[in-house]
Amino acid sequence: MNSHIQKVYVPMTETGFYILLCLLEESHGYGIVQKVEALTCGQIRLSPGTLYGSLSKMEKNGLIRFIREEEKRKIYKITDLGRQVLDLEMKRIERLYQNMMEVRENERS
Amino acid sequence: MKDRKIKFRYFSIVEWEKEQDFLRREGLNGWHFTKATLLGIYHFEKCEPEDMVYQLDYNPDGIAHKEQYVQMFKDCGWEYVQDYFGYSYFRKPASEMSGNEEIFCDDQSRLEMVKRIFFTRMIPLIAIFFLLIIPSLYTQSTDPSSAGYVLSWASWILFVLYLFVFLILGRQFWKYWKDLSK
Repeated sequence: MNSHIQKVYVPMTETGFYILLCLLEESHGYGIVQKVEALTCGQIRLSPGTLYGSLSKMEKNGLIRFIREEEKRKIYKITDLGRQVLDLEMKRIERLYQNMMEVRENERS
Repeated sequence: MKDRKIKFRYFSIVEWEKEQDFLRREGLNGWHFTKATLLGIYHFEKCEPEDMVYQLDYNPDGIAHKEQYVQMFKDCGWEYVQDYFGYSYFRKPASEMSGNEEIFCDDQSRLEMVKRIFFTRMIPLIAIFFLLIIPSLYTQSTDPSSAGYVLSWASWILFVLYLFVFLILGRQFWKYWKDLSK
């Protein structure tokens, strides 16, 4: 992973994270919108301008790849590079979560 | 009573928010936007007052892959109206929205759009300025004939106009940039 990718994607926006997470399985844009809505109980609703921009940028940077087209919808899937970025981000979020819980425990005791 | 009208409006390349508000206001007043044509002519037809939300996207990649681009917006409930000077126009009735809906859901993607406008519209202007106007100013100021005199004045006027446009657009870009990158 080169420094440009690191700089652009680590840390990642919430939108970017959910897109990569969903693309562990093949999906088209609207499929991602629906999946994220279900995962977050309707709290996050991705907008098409954001989604289209993110998908084309991620494809250009090699984080995801175009698989095929179905009824005018492009289907994408994560690449190895995308997985590496996602793993880094997951570790970062795990650390955030652990630190938060530690502080919480200390406050209680 | 007329059931069609046109309005002339000029919006600079960084005034998409004003344009969106303008189109929405017309809808609230009972005028449904049908199309925009050259030289800032906006066409409307009479309708029941409607609260229609308009959003403009600037995405050359989307225009290049029109079908897939428009489909994604359609899936999310946005009707595609047309392209106009690099912008794509979308609309959605406010009644079909849950809260305030926009075609962008975070500031980073809003900033990405500002960058796309800047790099595809502003950079060519700046290039013309440095490659054509400044050199012509220089060559014509050294030309002693009367034609050279007139041309040199023309170049100076162009130069001042350009500077003026740069200042205004530059200020608007800067404002967006600052607001969106926090």
